[in-house]
Formats: sequence, C-alpha cells, structure tokens
Amino acid sequence: MHPGAWLTWALCGGTAATLTTNPFYLLPLGASAWVVYAAHHRRDHPAGLSFRVFFLFALAALAVRTLLVLLGPVDAGTVLNSFLEGLRLAVMLVIFGAFNAVADPYGVLRLAPRRFYEAALAAALALSLAPRTIAAVTRVRDAQRARGIEVARYRMLPALAVPVLENGMEDALTLAESMDARGHGRGRRSRYRPLPWTRASVLCAVVSLVALTAFASAAVAGDPTLVPSMFPPSWPEARSPLLAAASLLALPALLRASS
Amino acid sequence: MSAVVLDRVTFTYPERDRPVLSDVRLELPEGVFALVCGPTGAGKSTLLRLANGLVPHFSGGTFAGRVMAAGRDTRSCKPREMADVVAFVPQDPGSSFVLDRVEDEIAYGMENLGVQPRHMRRRVEEMLDLFGLASLRDRSVRAISGGERQRVAIAAALAPGARIVVLDEPTSQLDPQGAEDVLAALQRLVHDHGMTVVAAEHRLERIAGFADVAVLVEGGTARADEPRSILGRVDLGPPVARLGAALGWSPLPVTVREARRHAAARPPVAPPAIDRPSPGDVLMRAEGASYSYGGRVAIDRVDLEVRAGEAVALMGRNGAGKTTLLRLLGGMTTPTEGRVLSDGAAPRTGRDVALCPQEPESVLFRSSVREEIEATPGAQTDRVLDEFGLTDLSALHPRDLSAGQRLLVAAAAVAATGAPVLLLDEPTRGLDPEAKERLVASMRRRASAGGAVVFATHDVELVASAATRVVMLAAGQVVAEGSPEEVLGDSAVFAPQTTRVFGPGWLTPDQVIASVR
Repeated sequence: MHPGAWLTWALCGGTAATLTTNPFYLLPLGASAWVVYAAHHRRDHPAGLSFRVFFLFALAALAVRTLLVLLGPVDAGTVLNSFLEGLRLAVMLVIFGAFNAVADPYGVLRLAPRRFYEAALAAALALSLAPRTIAAVTRVRDAQRARGIEVARYRMLPALAVPVLENGMEDALTLAESMDARGHGRGRRSRYRPLPWTRASVLCAVVSLVALTAFASAAVAGDPTLVPSMFPPSWPEARSPLLAAASLLALPALLRASS
Repeated sequence: MSAVVLDRVTFTYPERDRPVLSDVRLELPEGVFALVCGPTGAGKSTLLRLANGLVPHFSGGTFAGRVMAAGRDTRSCKPREMADVVAFVPQDPGSSFVLDRVEDEIAYGMENLGVQPRHMRRRVEEMLDLFGLASLRDRSVRAISGGERQRVAIAAALAPGARIVVLDEPTSQLDPQGAEDVLAALQRLVHDHGMTVVAAEHRLERIAGFADVAVLVEGGTARADEPRSILGRVDLGPPVARLGAALGWSPLPVTVREARRHAAARPPVAPPAIDRPSPGDVLMRAEGASYSYGGRVAIDRVDLEVRAGEAVALMGRNGAGKTTLLRLLGGMTTPTEGRVLSDGAAPRTGRDVALCPQEPESVLFRSSVREEIEATPGAQTDRVLDEFGLTDLSALHPRDLSAGQRLLVAAAAVAATGAPVLLLDEPTRGLDPEAKERLVASMRRRASAGGAVVFATHDVELVASAATRVVMLAAGQVVAEGSPEEVLGDSAVFAPQTTRVFGPGWLTPDQVIASVR
C-alpha cells in the first residue's frame, strides 16, 4: 500500500472523529481503525507493537477526561458530555496508533517535496522516537531485572531512567554522525524507487475521502446527530449514511496491499 | 598516491588533559587493506573518525596537524563533504540507521549525493548480492538480527561508491562464516577495484590474513607496518602468531596456512587429554522448551542441562536463537511449550540466575564503577571488583571507559548478584586479549566455586579456551552438543586456529606449548 494512501486514511478518519461526539459514529470509527490495524500492521516491526501503547493511552485519556469532571459540582449531563469528548479523543488516538502500525513513517517521509525534506525527516525521526523509547525501556527493564534490580520500585527509578536517557542521547549522536557521514544535507537529492499508487492504494484513499466528505457535509449542514445534546441526558440518534461512512473506513482492511 | 595521510596529528577530546593521539604521522597508500589494532581504549575509533572529519567536526576538542583523504583536507571539508570519497561504518550499526526498510537504507547515501535513480537501482541490487541481503530487502532494519544489521550498515556505506572505506569492528557481531564473507567481499573491493579499506578489529584471527598493512595504535601514537611485525606481539596477535612465537617459527605466521607449513615440518605428539573437573549437580534444565512469537519459532524443543562447574558455550549462526535461549534460561521469558526449571521450579531471575545483556549500556546507571557494583542487591563489592580486575578502575565513571571495559563492568555488576548460574550474551565484543583473559579467569573461578556460566558467542577462540561444553544451535534446535574438541574439532566453520594447524584434539596455543615443553 502506498504510504500516501495510509496518510489520507488517517487524516480523513481523524478529521471525521473531530467532527462528532456521537458514540454511534465514534465507535464504528474506532472499530474500523482496529480492523485495519489487525489486517495490515507490520508484524516484524516494533512500531507494529506500539498500537497497544496507543490503545492504553486512549483508555487513559477516556478515563481522565471523565473523572476530571467529577471533581467539580456535577450532573449526569456534564459527566456524559465529558465522557463523549473523552471518547472522541480516544478514537483519534486509536486511529493514529493504527496509522503508526500500518504505515512506515519513513515511507511517508519520501512523499515530502524536496524542499520540505528536512522538516519531514525531523518529523519522521520524531515519530520513530516513541517506538524506540518503548523498546529501550523494555530492554533496560529486562537487563536490570536480570541483575536483580526491580525498576518498578520507586527508589530504583534511576536504574531505568539513566540508561534509557543516556542511550537515547548516544543513539541520537550516532545517528547525527551517520547521517552527516553519508552526505545528508549536501543539497542535492534524488529519489530511490518511488512507490506506485496501486489500485488498492487509490481505492483506500478514495473511500477515506468519501467518508470524510459525508461527515464534513453533515457538519456544514448542521446535522444535530453529530454532537448530540446531553442536557437532559438522552439516547443519541444516528443517521444511517453517517454510520455507513464511518464503517467505510474499515474497507481498506479487506484490500490486499499488493493488488 | 596515498589514500589517507595523517600529518603530525595531535588530538585532545574536550575536557581531557591528555591528548588521545599525539604527533601521529601515518600514510596509507591507495588500494590496501589496512588493519587497525591496539589495546582497548587506545584511540582506534578516534583514528578512524579522523579520516572523514567526524573528529574534530563532531567530537569537538583540540585538533592540530592535517588529515588528507583522497586529496581532501578534513580541516576545510566537513564529514558530509567527504561522503563521496570516504564511507564510514560505525561500531554500533543499530543506532546509525536513518530509514526503515533495508533497501531504502542502502539507497539513502546515494539519494543524498543525487545519484541518478536508474544507477541507484542497479547499485542497490549489487550491494544486496555482495552482502547476501537479497532475501531481507523488504524487512525493517529494526527487526533483523545483529549480524544482519552489520551487513546492511556496510552495504549502505559502500553503495555510493566511495573509494575509501573506514569500518569500526566490522565483524564483531558476525558468526564465523558471516565474518569470512564480509571480509572476502571487502578484499574483493580492494583487489578488483583498487579501493582502500581501513578496519579496526580486536579479534585478529580472521582478519589477519586479509590485511596488507597493520596500524598499531598504542600509547598515544600510531605506526603502520607489515602485519607480521605488528601481529607477532604475543599480547596482540592471533593464536597462530602466539604459537609461532613460542615455538620459534620464522618468519612468524599470521594465518593458519602459513602456520601449517611450519607445523608440517614438526609433527606434534598426540594431543594430551584435556583435564576438566567432572560436572556437579544439575543447577538448571530446559525440558522440551520452545519459544515462538509472531508465528516464528525461535527455539524449538530444546533439552539442556546446566551443571555446577560447567562453562557452556552457545554457538550458531546469526539469528539461530542463542539470545532467545539465554532469555528462557534466565527466566526473562517463559517458554511457549515445555519448561525451564531451576531447583524444580521456574528460575527466579536475579536469584537463581543472572544475565548480562549484549548491550552493557543497558545496565550501567551509577557514576562510578564501584557504585555500579554496589547497586546490585547483595553484592560483595570488593570481591567482585577483584575477580574482574576492576579494582584500579573502581573510581572512574563507566562512561569514561572504553566499550570493552564497560562490558567488563556490566558483567561484573551482573555477576555480583551471586546467582549460581551466570548467563553472558556475547561477552567479548570489543574486548582486547588482556580484558578477555580477565573475563575468562573470572568465569573459571565462578565455575570452580560451584557455579556455572552459559555464554553465547561467535568467538571460537574464547570457546576453545574457556568452555567445558559446546551447544550448537541452528534454526532454534540443538544440532550438536559435546566437549569443545568434539564439536569444534571437525567443523569447517567453527574450528579454532590451533585445531586447524595441528588437527583435532588441539584447542589452544597454551595446550601445545605445554606439551612441547
């Protein structure tokens, strides 16, 4: 699959999620992301595993968003409202996590026009920081456990933090050296093997755009089902075209990457 | 014409009082394979980094003198401006990767130099073939084995076609056959294309035969000479050179082939039986242990016993499952089938068994060597410092030590748990012969005190001198098991140099020297 197709998918799904707090739209959006993740994540790759971390983040965001509101004077409507806003954030995180797991961020980097290459490279390296740090934390925690230090204990936190940070700094320096030694920033660039827009890639991008168009035009038309009022609390209604649009984002899961 | 010239180079790292190299004059002609050797921490990496200007442009510090590579002066050319004439492969290829897919990573340097896409396609294919990477082209550089990563890093550095290639320990993570292949590929570039290769190594037994010139870095200076005269030094050379020096062979052999000529003139006596204490009680055992992840079987029904007094070497090619087996024995992961037992129960990590990882940096977090050992619960610090020969270094910051010394500190910190079974993953990367000797001695002490050591390694000479038993893995299965002389003796790939010279039954130069006296 062309990385641009995944980028389109993620941007469309994410934008659609920002437009609604209706759980009947958000849940199919999240489910679509999960299905796409399950079908396409890179199995041999650490980033394929980072989806789990994004999922946990999503749950945490949902919990924090809902619980925070309980600190003040509350009524059922306020709680439900912040729960739904938390759900929206969670679904966006799940979509981003799925994108991270299915697409190669460096593949996305290759799409950047030549003059934005530097900025895109910085972004791609930043994107890779999360999976790399996760890998480093796991590695150091294991290594310390194997010498009898449980880093889970608060007092032993330096045993985890110091190697992770020091290795991170050293790795960053090695990377910078390696890039320079290999001619990065000389100003001339050519591109190796641009990936083709296969039929599957085009289809993936098109259905994503269709789904977004459905949500965007509903938003422009002021569709009341997008942001259901919880004052007073009531069972939100949903319209079938938007339900279909949200489910459409699961379609790329059925596409074979190479066809 | 000279490929690399160092003219009265003196260099001091920032915040150091003494220069690491002073007044170095060195000239490497074009089209040679130069081997850089010397004790750990002597400045070999610094010397290599001078060639493309990473020192001083990246390191900072005080630089005097002049370095010319392919006619360019590193004072006026930054590393990126040297990229088309000097290719550089750093010590730890894992953190030097920029992109993700193997194929893209190999093309990265050429993209930076603006190489034509058509030419680039062809060049990538050539590199994939030259380094046996064609089947990995679509894989992520973060998901392949250490040895595979090293080959990708070399292919990626060579792809743009620089005429000078500088490599920092290019074979330290490779299995014997993989190392042989990489060195042969480099030699082909020297012989057929007139390229200049400058490589630093500690383990000299394989690379010695490929070198045209040896550069000795020691005590702040560097000198180039014929390999024979530098590798002949007993503390430095490969086992055949030690043999030759002890037996008075002249000219001194640096390869097995040369040594065999001397040996043929003097057939040795029958090999003496190797005296090993009989192993004691079973400390831990794996019973039909398997481990699979992501649909891949990494360890396949392994049965293994580790007894008191043993030093068990795990060998096998890159990706054979050595590290995974160590993790299973160490209780870091539980087998997906079968079981691992220590005293009838699952091994308690850090109590029954301790493991020193491949990257020593993962465990080091205190500000002195002594504190680092003390940080391990239950450590008898002074005894461990003494055992690993670290007493003199105990006040230093681990960061200020060489890679080899850091490895020793990490091994000591792990051994300090006092766990009866000590597991070591690639314990000799970056160790010079002296540090290796110290490690072997402490492994022996541990075994004779009723403990056991299990170590994964590619270093056949280490196995020959330190192991009591060898377990050979392939595709996650045990394919051979027995004493080093049984398992290594008749192996075309894994036989140590002494065996190759004198035949099965002979493992180490010491054994030969003792029996001749």
